[in-house]
Amino acid sequence: MPGSSDLLHGTLDLLILKSLSLEPMHGLGVSVRIEQVTGGVFRVRPGSLFPALHRLEQRGWISGDWRASENKRRARYYALTKAGRQQLTAEKQNWKKVSDAVTSVLEAT
Amino acid sequence: MPFWLRIRNIARLLFRKRPMEAELDEEMRSSLEMLVERNMLAGMSPADARRQAHLEFEGLEQVKEQVREVRVGVTIESFVQDTRYALRMLRRSPGFTVVAALTLALGIGINTAIFSVVYTVLIEPLPFERPEELAIVWSNFEKMGAPRAPGSGFELREIHDRARMFQDFAGIWAGNGTFTGEGDPEQVKVGFVTANFLQVLGARPALGRAFVSEEGGRGRPAVILSHGLWQRRFGRDANIIGRAVRFEGGNFTIVGVMPVDFQLVFPPDANVPADIQAWVPFPYDIYSMPRDLYFIRILGRLKHGVTLQQAQADADAVAHQLRSQFKEFGGENLKLVVSPLHGDAVRNVRPALVALVAGAALVLLIACVNVANLLLTRAGARRKEIALRVSLGSPRRRIIRQLLTESLVLCGVGGALGLLLGWWGVELLMSIKPDSLSRVGSAGLHPPIVAFAALISIGSAILFGLAPALESTKLNIVDTLRAAGRGNTVTPRRLRAFLVVSEITLSFILLIGAVLMIRTFERLGSVDPGFNSTRILTFEIELPGSRYESDVDRSNFIMRWEEKLKALPGVDSVGAISHLPLDDYPNWYSPYTPEGRPDGETKGLLADYRTVTPGYFASIGGRLVAGRDFDKLDQAKGRLVVIVDELLARTAWPGQNPIGKKIKAEHFVDGGFGDQWSEVVGVVRHIRHHSLSKELRGQIYIPYTQSSRTHMSFVIKTKGDPTALIQAIRRQLGEMDKDLAIAKVRPMRDYVAQASAAASFTAVLATIFAALALLLAMVGIYGVLSYSVSQRTHELGVRMALGAAPRQIVRLVVREGLVLIGIGMALGALGALGLSRYLETLLYGVTPSDPLTYLIVAGAVLAAAVAACWKPAYRASSCNPVEALRYD
Repeated sequence: MPGSSDLLHGTLDLLILKSLSLEPMHGLGVSVRIEQVTGGVFRVRPGSLFPALHRLEQRGWISGDWRASENKRRARYYALTKAGRQQLTAEKQNWKKVSDAVTSVLEAT
Repeated sequence: MPFWLRIRNIARLLFRKRPMEAELDEEMRSSLEMLVERNMLAGMSPADARRQAHLEFEGLEQVKEQVREVRVGVTIESFVQDTRYALRMLRRSPGFTVVAALTLALGIGINTAIFSVVYTVLIEPLPFERPEELAIVWSNFEKMGAPRAPGSGFELREIHDRARMFQDFAGIWAGNGTFTGEGDPEQVKVGFVTANFLQVLGARPALGRAFVSEEGGRGRPAVILSHGLWQRRFGRDANIIGRAVRFEGGNFTIVGVMPVDFQLVFPPDANVPADIQAWVPFPYDIYSMPRDLYFIRILGRLKHGVTLQQAQADADAVAHQLRSQFKEFGGENLKLVVSPLHGDAVRNVRPALVALVAGAALVLLIACVNVANLLLTRAGARRKEIALRVSLGSPRRRIIRQLLTESLVLCGVGGALGLLLGWWGVELLMSIKPDSLSRVGSAGLHPPIVAFAALISIGSAILFGLAPALESTKLNIVDTLRAAGRGNTVTPRRLRAFLVVSEITLSFILLIGAVLMIRTFERLGSVDPGFNSTRILTFEIELPGSRYESDVDRSNFIMRWEEKLKALPGVDSVGAISHLPLDDYPNWYSPYTPEGRPDGETKGLLADYRTVTPGYFASIGGRLVAGRDFDKLDQAKGRLVVIVDELLARTAWPGQNPIGKKIKAEHFVDGGFGDQWSEVVGVVRHIRHHSLSKELRGQIYIPYTQSSRTHMSFVIKTKGDPTALIQAIRRQLGEMDKDLAIAKVRPMRDYVAQASAAASFTAVLATIFAALALLLAMVGIYGVLSYSVSQRTHELGVRMALGAAPRQIVRLVVREGLVLIGIGMALGALGALGLSRYLETLLYGVTPSDPLTYLIVAGAVLAAAVAACWKPAYRASSCNPVEALRYD
């Protein structure tokens, strides 16, 4: 879906954190996961994905290390840190608040 | 973002750039390849799969660039964010910020200034090649009380031939010499050296070359000029090398010019001044001179990697050989002492500098305590804000970090101001420094000094910032928020009390040090040096041996000139002496033998020798206590007579009348030294020749006619301003001998001032430090008590409403202060008693535990502290109880 990478800044972070909360994966794996889970609504291009991953790493929410991928290629895998887990919880709450608020505005008669 | 993460990010950005780039590159490539593989799995041809993957990536390099931007952005963003927040908080309370920054600037500035002096004098390596290999080799005649004596030429050669741990040895002796020829004759300080001196020292001329061995001894006459002399007398002539100049009545070839910043660094008692203007190889064969003519300062260069202990062991072995092989050295029990040049040169100034560093550190500590106090007060006001943030889930760590950032920003401002202040302070120090700190000439804001200022700024930020940050975040949220409605929150009283007490303690210690130094300086000023320096003009003259060859030539000239000087208008009396008191001309001291004492007791008696004209004692204000002064009848061919000082008389003939006794004393006749029996005709008061604070050894005075040295200092007692005579004196000399010049023309007072300059320097600085410390402590006490009163408004209002008189309120507040002051003073006294003994070497005329000093300081601290209490107490007593209660 064209233009679908124009995600809200915070939303992309939330999606990445959420994806990584299940298991560590490499950059491409994250984008595949997001695409699958959202049924193709969100497709995250590398140009947005990698800066986001590195931003999260700099903030100490995820950490990367090198591992062999499923087809024996060396790839950088990212995993959620403890701080990242806390951040995910906080962002989930925040998202819920915002979306509830938006929903109530939209449904107001 | 946690603090450590921020540090990690910055560090990575700065130091791990390359590995991070490589990783990024690999990550992008492997992702691209995976994308290609996936596309192929989806059924694309390899070429299509790759094209599709590249399309998706939108440019590998662009993605990498974006990642890089993110990294830098995140790092800077959090830093900027914190700093901006800190700046905003500081701007919100400008009064606090200004006071805190200035207090810090003061502490940091003082430390920066003192450190730049310490750095240039004690730390910065000497500007010679491999300076750590340089050592002075002293001859130690301990038995005679001369542990740091120079060596003889013979000794120099023997050491050179026997030592194994040294690369080479050189010798120097500083005297005077006169340049003549074009222009006015000019007498300057000359370093007479062995030809290898500059090579051993590890210094090279800026123009020309060092001496070669053919120029040593009685070889080709050659001279090397200082940069100053080259500029002054020879107009910076770039083609001067190879030119002949008239010097000491001979023709000397200029072979080199030293660099502009070249300066010798020798200990004061080596009598090698820093302002040597010319270097000349010894114009005589030092190796064929008497074995016990000790005048050469021996400089050694250790072999690479040889330790001082090894060198000393080597020298011990050499001394042992010399003692057993030569009776001169055996009889005097010669030992050799190897002393590192730098350490030896600063051994006299080190204790004072260390004390000043300690003093400056104390001031900084007090400044930090004050700022900590201010921060605490502010933290008290921000308590609600902090409690609110804690209750909203902000982690304590984060708040501490933010408070520390504020401290750091504050210290950045204070440090920058402090650096400026320190720069200005160095200028001030330069203007009052004593000669012993001559190397400080190059002091300035060198990188190590800026680094030092930055380091102590950060150190103090942590020091004063941490306690308040910890304290203000350690709170009970419920209590604080509940109390927030009312004025009286829980105050960290104990911490404040601790801060006040430590301020008083520290300033008390500093004041003790300062008062001890002031009393030392004052004692030095009231010392009776055995002479009277008022209205005395002095200058020195060197009679070149080539033209004033015989004893008669010299004494005729000196006596004749003395008569002419006496005839000048405004002159009271005139005399001359070979070694002026407190001057740095190399001392003349030798053994003597008094008559009438058993042989065993006369070994190892040393005296300072001086040759004087009959007018000397009258002019300098020396006091004859027995016998007679010299007069015109004491002639070269007549009976040999001497005058001794009281100290020598007491040592040589205790309890006897020294007048008429015979003494075997060293004379300088026909250009050489020799012992002669002479008769004591007079006794004078001891004259302090080496320092104001010490009587070193006895003195023997010989009439100039019987011992005519080539170097003489004139002493002219004048009726009015001594310097007014200078022109007339120069004119007179020109008429008598146009190729002679005088030097060191200055009032005798200057010598006395210079002799106490080190003590005055220390006293002035210690006083400034102590005054600042006391001022800061007053501000601290005032701040704490004011705060305490403002916190107790409610309580004081109740007391007043219940009938307490204003006087009682004042007493209540002052008592709170006095308890802290009392504790602080008691601790300060204990601390000072413990520490002041380290000042012992700097003191003169007072003991480190001098009761009067403690009394003065206790009074001053008490007065200052009570003054600081007064305003808060007065304010407390004058508040309106109704208003005070309404606060609730």
